[in-house]
Amino acid sequence: MDADPVAEDVTGGQPVGVAIVDDHPVVIDGVRAWLAGEPRLRVLATGDDPDVVLRAAPDAEVVLLDLRLHGRMVLDKLAELSAAGRRVVVYSEHTDPETMLAALDAGAVAFLAKHEGREHCVATVLAAACDRPYVPPALAGALVGDPRPDRPALSDKEREALLLWFQSMSKASVARRMRISEHTVKQYVDRARIKYTRAGRPAATKAALLARAIEDGLVRPEDIGIYRSQASADRPTP
Amino acid sequence: MSTESGAVAAGTAARPAVRQRAPERADPGVAEAAAHAVADASDRGARIVAVIIALAWHLAVGLPVLLGSWSRLAAPPVVAAGWLVTAAIGGAAGVRLLRGGLPPARPLAAALLVVDGTVFAAAGERQLFTTANWVWGGLAWFFLLVLWRRPLGWLLALLGAHATIALVAVALHGVTTPADLSRYAMYVYGTSSLPVAVFAGAAAIAALARERAGTAAAALAVAAERDAAERARRERQARLALVSGTAEEVLAALATGDADPADPAVRRRAVLAAARLRRLIAESDDVPDPLLHELRAAADLAERNGLPIELVAVGAPPELPVEVRRRLVDPPTAALADARGWARLTVVAGPDEVVVGLVTPDHEGPDATGPPGGGGDGPVEHLHERDGEIRWTQTRWRRT
Repeated sequence: MDADPVAEDVTGGQPVGVAIVDDHPVVIDGVRAWLAGEPRLRVLATGDDPDVVLRAAPDAEVVLLDLRLHGRMVLDKLAELSAAGRRVVVYSEHTDPETMLAALDAGAVAFLAKHEGREHCVATVLAAACDRPYVPPALAGALVGDPRPDRPALSDKEREALLLWFQSMSKASVARRMRISEHTVKQYVDRARIKYTRAGRPAATKAALLARAIEDGLVRPEDIGIYRSQASADRPTP
Repeated sequence: MSTESGAVAAGTAARPAVRQRAPERADPGVAEAAAHAVADASDRGARIVAVIIALAWHLAVGLPVLLGSWSRLAAPPVVAAGWLVTAAIGGAAGVRLLRGGLPPARPLAAALLVVDGTVFAAAGERQLFTTANWVWGGLAWFFLLVLWRRPLGWLLALLGAHATIALVAVALHGVTTPADLSRYAMYVYGTSSLPVAVFAGAAAIAALARERAGTAAAALAVAAERDAAERARRERQARLALVSGTAEEVLAALATGDADPADPAVRRRAVLAAARLRRLIAESDDVPDPLLHELRAAADLAERNGLPIELVAVGAPPELPVEVRRRLVDPPTAALADARGWARLTVVAGPDEVVVGLVTPDHEGPDATGPPGGGGDGPVEHLHERDGEIRWTQTRWRRT
């Protein structure tokens, strides 16, 4: 069960500011403890109300958001934050594929199942901070099993990589199975994720993910069609 | 690293120790067929009545007056020929109707209109409004036969054409006094209203029967679905009680200090209880799919033997033949018997593809399943692989 080594070039040495929104103090404390072991991350504020938390930490680069706050699914709040350019990593115990896909559609940078553990949590937050995708196994399952007729068209390799990553939770094993390098496995998985930036309503976070993917050479602008100009225009200045 | 791949031959894989029967799901096709059967039965009764009315009218009313007024008709053989043609059309349409088919509406309707015009012309001016002009009242019943189960509008159009032919005949024969015209109107009304009523009535009864049978079938399907859901719910409650018991024991022991969180045995009990709870929570289907049901049974069994196992299913599997389901389930089930440490069982299902994956840590020791048997055919592909890190069993069905 390995998480990816994540890019080191996060905001030039400065730790990434994280805000945690959850209505269970025990979860907040747990996640804070997870992130505390990672020097590249710093928790700036926590609480059970996204507005209050973000007023306390307006500079937070990543928001870890529990999708269910006080008994209500806060997909609308997620969409609002994403539209405003907030990089939201949703983490939730609701891991049915519909919920995960709805969160991506609403503009979440990543979706993390609560049981997926520290490594995935840290890797996801670090990737989100630099607008890079991170696809934990549960999300890979939701993407490969997406039944919607208007789902993004994935290539055979992308589908296979998602499927095997979902099954095995080991990129090394997927690489051996597909007879490609781990790096290529990650590329297939990430590319599939990037294709989902076209699903659902547009959001600044999606545009940022896409722009970074183009910059990284993960996808080519001509693969993306109409989205290119929008992406470049919407890209927040670093 | 060893890799063996190929389709499993029937019977080579070890049989799972437990195979529970999945609750049956109501088949919507059967219910629909029943609804059709009821509707057809009631439609058949109406067909018999319509055929009897048309032919009885033609023979018992039309024929005697035709013969009785033979000498008074302008061209008796032509009128008689029309009668015969109509009888032939009625006979053919009747046979077709009683055999459950529908007569060819357009050609027969056109033929009837030709007969209509011909008889009006051949009956002559003096017989125009007498019973000897049998097309007035008798022909409408044949319209009914040839237009059976067609839209009511078609019948009205045909009756309209009939009325127009009669009006033209009335005009050409020069019988256009107000008394004649009102007589004409009464004839048209009198001879059309009853067939229209019968036609509309038959259609309404058939529709009603179909609707009723459909409702009954739907109610039956709902009841069956509810039964299965209820059974699944009870089953889940029983498991929840079991899980809660285990979890409570662990928690209570931790709370009283009898169990040490650092003790590997205690941790293992906690992990098992948590895995079982998580799987229970993940079950979102009201009526369990047979494939998932079998996999859950296998997972439960492995867990009772002390193996923490995670079962994650994405998508709803389509209806699969028993043989396909067996080939999907048996290899991972057999591999589970050999698993050490933990196991992750996954299902990704779509309408055209179902993939079952089992991943467990690799360990020394042989595979329980052995290399899969020969026979590369069949729609289920089986792959078993060890790479030193994990053991990976995958079965994949693709719609061919």
